[in-house]
Amino acid sequence: MLKINNLHVAIGDTEIIKGLDLEVGSGELHAIMGPNGSGKSTLGYALAGREGYEITAGSIEFEGQDLTELEPEERAAAGLFLAFQYPVEIPGVNNAYFLRSALNAQRKARGEEEIDSITFLKTVRESLNSLKMDEALLKRAVNEGFSGGEKKRNEIVQMAVLQPKLAVLDETDSGLDIDALKLVAEGINAQRNAQRSFVVITHYQRLLDYLAPDHVHVLSDGRIVESGGQELSERLEAEGYSFLEAESEA
Amino acid sequence: MSAILNKLAPESELADDRYGDIRRRAHQRLMQYGFPDLKTEAWKYTSLRVLEKRELSATGPSEAGQPATLPFEADVIPMANGLIDPDRLNLPAGVRLEPMAPADLINLDYGDRAGAMAWLNLARFEQAWRLVIDATLERPLVLAMTSSSDFAASVHPRLQIELAAGVEAVLIEQQADRGAGLINIVEDIALARGSKLRHVIQRRNADSIWVQRTRVTVSADADYRCHALDLGGRLVRQDLSVHLLEAGANGEIDGVAFIDSKQHVDWHTAIDHEVGHTNSRESFRIMADGTGVGVFNGRIHIQRGADDSHSDLNTANLLLSESARINIKPELEIYAEEVTASHGATIGQLEDSALFYLRTRGLPVDQAMALLKYGFAAAPLENAEPEALRDWLTAELETVL
Repeated sequence: MLKINNLHVAIGDTEIIKGLDLEVGSGELHAIMGPNGSGKSTLGYALAGREGYEITAGSIEFEGQDLTELEPEERAAAGLFLAFQYPVEIPGVNNAYFLRSALNAQRKARGEEEIDSITFLKTVRESLNSLKMDEALLKRAVNEGFSGGEKKRNEIVQMAVLQPKLAVLDETDSGLDIDALKLVAEGINAQRNAQRSFVVITHYQRLLDYLAPDHVHVLSDGRIVESGGQELSERLEAEGYSFLEAESEA
Repeated sequence: MSAILNKLAPESELADDRYGDIRRRAHQRLMQYGFPDLKTEAWKYTSLRVLEKRELSATGPSEAGQPATLPFEADVIPMANGLIDPDRLNLPAGVRLEPMAPADLINLDYGDRAGAMAWLNLARFEQAWRLVIDATLERPLVLAMTSSSDFAASVHPRLQIELAAGVEAVLIEQQADRGAGLINIVEDIALARGSKLRHVIQRRNADSIWVQRTRVTVSADADYRCHALDLGGRLVRQDLSVHLLEAGANGEIDGVAFIDSKQHVDWHTAIDHEVGHTNSRESFRIMADGTGVGVFNGRIHIQRGADDSHSDLNTANLLLSESARINIKPELEIYAEEVTASHGATIGQLEDSALFYLRTRGLPVDQAMALLKYGFAAAPLENAEPEALRDWLTAELETVL
């Protein structure tokens, strides 16, 4: 599904990602952990194609396609979804209208028929209900006046409606209380299947307890320095990132 | 600038009709005060020099284009090339149109050179109409102001619109000028006690120079609401002043202007709280693209003794290109003590983060930008009622995004 090879990403003159390798297979859920400033969000933005995040070396292959050649909207249509750490407020644009336009733009790009409004509303309502979100949010402007938790849950609603092949979730758990965290985890688990893959960027073990990732990676200074199973995240939770330094010195 | 004056108002061409004395007096004032230039505060960002170069013909063509059909039932008063043909009207019950009496036009004062265009109108108007609305209207009343593509004359329409006590009406000025003339309108609107007017100004002009001065007076417990969608023109200058004359008067202005390359749109609004226990609210948004130029000057004036008045003025503006320009000036003048008055003004550009967010969801750049522009500009139109009116205005807005 996703093959990242020796990726280097710079913002301006500063190199943030310094030779990252990662391979994500169909249906897999990978967790990426790491201290602040290690390059986690930069990886998310580079995958989604944000302007100013320059790929100076290496490659990103998504389903056999060179992802770096595509515009952000083409990446979306190809099946990539990024859940933002800080979802953006779009004043004056109705949530339902936005989501339906986005879905239809993707379908059009793939040569598919537009979705009819009944099917669309049914899908959105189901995901809203499963995340215990008020249907009135559909009529409100995108993320405007949403609480921090509502914004994060809204990202999961969008993911459920857009049905990506690969979802990159950037700290979707941060700022959530325990109940909301559980709902978000359930929302993610409900979307898991043998064809859909996830890259979950997080600081905390708690979300991973619910998700049971197939692989856990530790990102430090722009490189993956450690990979393992869920036991790795448990160790990080217990010992912090300091053990990495101890290991690299040893 | 006296060349312009002699071109626009040669003394020899003043009509010697029953308004003759009024015209001569106005002409005298015009000559005495002269024309505004960029040193005239109220005309600081809008130059009328373009009139110097414009070849204006003496008379307009006889036929003007039809206004676009509205998506709801309405009664239409056509004003073609600045003229209303009273024989072709089919007015609803409770509405009458009659020529203004000279007595209604004496003792008018438009001040010094800042009011030159109003003096010019008074000297040269072709028709002066009194439109009286005596009964609550079931359907919107539309003033369809159109001109044809070969229209290159100057016209000076004059209107006095009166709402009787307790009457409710929706009045739509649908302005679609396709020519390259000068349209110089003076309009007075009076709301008697307890009346309600929704006043829509929907403008989409071509190359004309369009100057409109609208003065609204609001009596006790009357409610004036303006919904403006200005899609620009070569040069548009709109003055809108709302005078809250008696306790309980309410005045609201919601406006959006979208200004594209080679367009210049200048809105000067003023809300005057002449007595206490009066309320006002204004929200105005401008988007300028290409080489478009926008001006918004919003004045709130709360006079001495107008206690317990409340006022809120907000303007937000969006520059869509490097060469677009927007000049904004909110002005609050408060001479009363027990009042609440707030104002806010912002000017900015489309946010890259918002554009990126929409693109990651699959929207192509053009579509994402149109959505962001719509989100910015549609807010003031949300207050338009009934729903069919709001839908029409937002649909009109979408056609230019």
